[in-house]
Amino acid sequence: MPTVDQAQELSKARRFLKERLQRNYTTIRGYEAERSNVRELLQRTGEGESNSLLLIGPRNAGKTTLINAVLADLLDNKSFVENTLIVHLDGNLHTDDRIALKSITVQMRLENAADGKVFGSFAENLAFLLQCLKAGNKKSKSVVFILEEFDLFCTHHNQTLLYNLFDVSQSAQAPICVLGVTCRLDVIELLEKRVKSRFSHRQVFLFPNADKFEDYVKLCQELLSIPSDKALKSTANRIDRLELLKSDAFTFQRNHFRGAAYEFDKRFVDNWNKHHDKLIKMPAAQKTLQMLYDFDISEAFLKNFILRLVSRVKPSAPLITLEQMSSLAQQYESDDKIELLCGLSVLEICMIIAIKHHSEIYDRDPFNFEIIFARFSKFAKVSSTMQGVERSVVLKAFEHLRISELIMPLSSNSGLGKIQKEFEMHKMALTYGQIQQAVQRYQALPTEVAQWAQSSLI
Amino acid sequence: SRLAEGTPRRSIQLSNIVEQRVFQDDEIISTPKRARSKKTTTAEEDKEYTPKKTPTRSRRLSTASAAAPATPTPLTPSQKLKKIRAGEISPTMEQRKTDTANPDKGRKSQLQLAREQLHVSVVPQSLPCREKEFDNIYNFLEGKIQDQCGGCMYVSGVPGTGKTATVSGVIRTLQGMTRQRKLPEFEFLEINGMRLTEPRQAYVQIYKQLTGKTVSWEQAHTLLEKRFTTPAPRRITTVLLVDELDILCNRRQDVVYNLLDWPTKSAARLVVITIANTMDLPERLLMGKVTSRLGLTRLTFQPYTHKQLQEIVSARLGLAGSEAFKGEAVQLVARKVAAVSGDARRALDICRRATEIAKDCVTMLHVQQALAEMIASAKVQAIKNCSRLEQIFLQAVAAEVTRTGVEETTFMGVYQQLETIAAIMGVSTLPPPGRALRLCSKLGAERLLISEPSRHDLYQKILLNVSTDDIHYALRVEQPMTTT
Repeated sequence: MPTVDQAQELSKARRFLKERLQRNYTTIRGYEAERSNVRELLQRTGEGESNSLLLIGPRNAGKTTLINAVLADLLDNKSFVENTLIVHLDGNLHTDDRIALKSITVQMRLENAADGKVFGSFAENLAFLLQCLKAGNKKSKSVVFILEEFDLFCTHHNQTLLYNLFDVSQSAQAPICVLGVTCRLDVIELLEKRVKSRFSHRQVFLFPNADKFEDYVKLCQELLSIPSDKALKSTANRIDRLELLKSDAFTFQRNHFRGAAYEFDKRFVDNWNKHHDKLIKMPAAQKTLQMLYDFDISEAFLKNFILRLVSRVKPSAPLITLEQMSSLAQQYESDDKIELLCGLSVLEICMIIAIKHHSEIYDRDPFNFEIIFARFSKFAKVSSTMQGVERSVVLKAFEHLRISELIMPLSSNSGLGKIQKEFEMHKMALTYGQIQQAVQRYQALPTEVAQWAQSSLI
Repeated sequence: SRLAEGTPRRSIQLSNIVEQRVFQDDEIISTPKRARSKKTTTAEEDKEYTPKKTPTRSRRLSTASAAAPATPTPLTPSQKLKKIRAGEISPTMEQRKTDTANPDKGRKSQLQLAREQLHVSVVPQSLPCREKEFDNIYNFLEGKIQDQCGGCMYVSGVPGTGKTATVSGVIRTLQGMTRQRKLPEFEFLEINGMRLTEPRQAYVQIYKQLTGKTVSWEQAHTLLEKRFTTPAPRRITTVLLVDELDILCNRRQDVVYNLLDWPTKSAARLVVITIANTMDLPERLLMGKVTSRLGLTRLTFQPYTHKQLQEIVSARLGLAGSEAFKGEAVQLVARKVAAVSGDARRALDICRRATEIAKDCVTMLHVQQALAEMIASAKVQAIKNCSRLEQIFLQAVAAEVTRTGVEETTFMGVYQQLETIAAIMGVSTLPPPGRALRLCSKLGAERLLISEPSRHDLYQKILLNVSTDDIHYALRVEQPMTTT
């Protein structure tokens, strides 16, 4: 029986691990060369050189984390903090140049902005911003523009904002750095030719390393372990520095993970770490990790997995076990559509089977309600369980299948009104394998239906 | 009489109480602003006067008058906006706190000096390899200014061939000439199509450069029309540079028409130089009457050849160049860039990147690395760094393309190939279709594939965005599949 003390320690550890998994925005592992490349670039911008850069990598590769980490590094440098403004834009939020421009004006604290409100029209704002940048020189503050979801900025009208930012970075005006972040590899092809010419073509690619399974295991071990007090204290300084980041657009510093706030009992930590080191070395655990690694090599995916593991820890089960790990992994492998199929009524399963028979016979030809109803009626007539079912009830079941998107209408703009719903053509969004598995796993399926599923002959 | 003068307009709207007040002869009713000088009197009045019904309003009045300090108040944002529109506030940037921008030059290494010189923003006094074009534009402009007549010119060329730099160079030279009184005075205006939110803002920008005031485009249009059509005896020639002309072309083409029509007026004395990228823009995009006004004085800037690019870079490097840059390194950059686009910006950027890579002297190896970073595509590397199932998915798409012979595949066919490949390779855990869709959308986000939204489920169409050769190359070179 665990004591009260242990239970407290455990809930603390769980909170610590969860926070570290979710809110540790500035720690990045690996990418040494890329990181120093970006850091040097921003450093030189702080010293008055204009630049532009694109950070490209697949989703979840740590692009934003890299930038946050670089900024946290640079906050060490007093002259960088004093001489640089950071403007943060996001293609998902700033959906057109008008909104983006207002946000820039506010973040740069220009004359025509007051308390987050910007005066004047779009054209005036653009003209004023350009005048300000033009009036600037080597003596004015450097501005770092961080454009997340850069590819969405390319869809704006005429790419006015991009042209102007890149143009400033290539002329003798205020020193700025345009840092685009995107997951599209071919993003340069989206730029107009004059915008492309003004872009400096520096691209930094972030690819998580695919053939280092050992590193992946080590990372997993690291994410599960609780560091010593000394290690926690040493990172405290770095997080305190984030206060210097005086930008309203960066919200991560307000809610950052603070390791130094935690203190653990040494015996508990030893026990915890030893257990999990051993756990990960087990072949079954390795197999689970390999499965995850084969599917997605990103750190974010692993973090998600570990978060779900950690949240299962409770005083009655104070350590993560192998069973927990493999049962969670099984959830990742399972097919949600089969779950959905198993939740259908027997009538709906019968409809699905009828659709399957139709598809098999006619090689996935589309079908409508009448076709399926005829096929179903043939079965219902000879079956003992489905005899009294009315047409309207079957139609309701068919509609239910349609709104759960197990069957999809052929035309995208559903032709309701033009075609009666009994005659509208549909296609099936399931593979035969899925139906077969669902029939096998269905609880208490009448034997007749199971047999009919095997063969369309009645 | 003073009473009437000082009565503020707003007092009409004041409540009855204020109106009921009985004024002495020498009392002054004034707006809060005017009260500044007579602070004491108003303060006394307020003491005597006790409000009956609307205390808030009268208090606001009194506090406003009392609080008005002797020093000028900071402007409210809307007052500021008025001043901005009138051109009275000059836009500024925040200044550096510690000026580290210019540490003395002695400490900088040759390489740093070279890097600064190679920045695209450092435009040299005279552009190398553009002497002929310079003379051409110079002669045109000088002739027009001397003859005091109007005219048009159209300059074209691909981006990065020195169009804007040459024209500004000509203008600078001409301005120098006027300062030496060798040439009559002229005014220079400059607009850029891409810096405008819509074509009609061109009027606003032109008018703003003439007077400093920001007005609406209708007003600006009328004022400019008046300026250019009515004869004025002491009008000096105006040179207008219109960059990115194609952006100013809307469907009605009224802006382009006006800009090109004004030079034909004898009163205007306007010379317009238009710059755009395509050579046949007037014939392709513009209406007949606009093309006719644009005239036939045209100039095309050819892309730089490798010799010219080499000369440009060497000119930038100057004396420092010989130490910081190896000759053959410059040549490699010039040849590579000239083969692709002939863009001077690109050559300079690559050289600058090479100086960042190098420690003391830029050699061929550094340039090669910079070229690889800035020109090469990363698709092969991206495929190599996909997870194992993503790689198999890509192979499956390639296999389906080979099987059907059509570029466009559907998810269902790809999934069948995926099952087959997984069975051959002995992959134990084949993802169900739902998770395979996730693989597909992840590859689609990277643009290794082009896929429809996952809403289409099994029927979504998938296109391969990399060549099948790239996939085979990427997956064979390291043989990640043999580990099974």
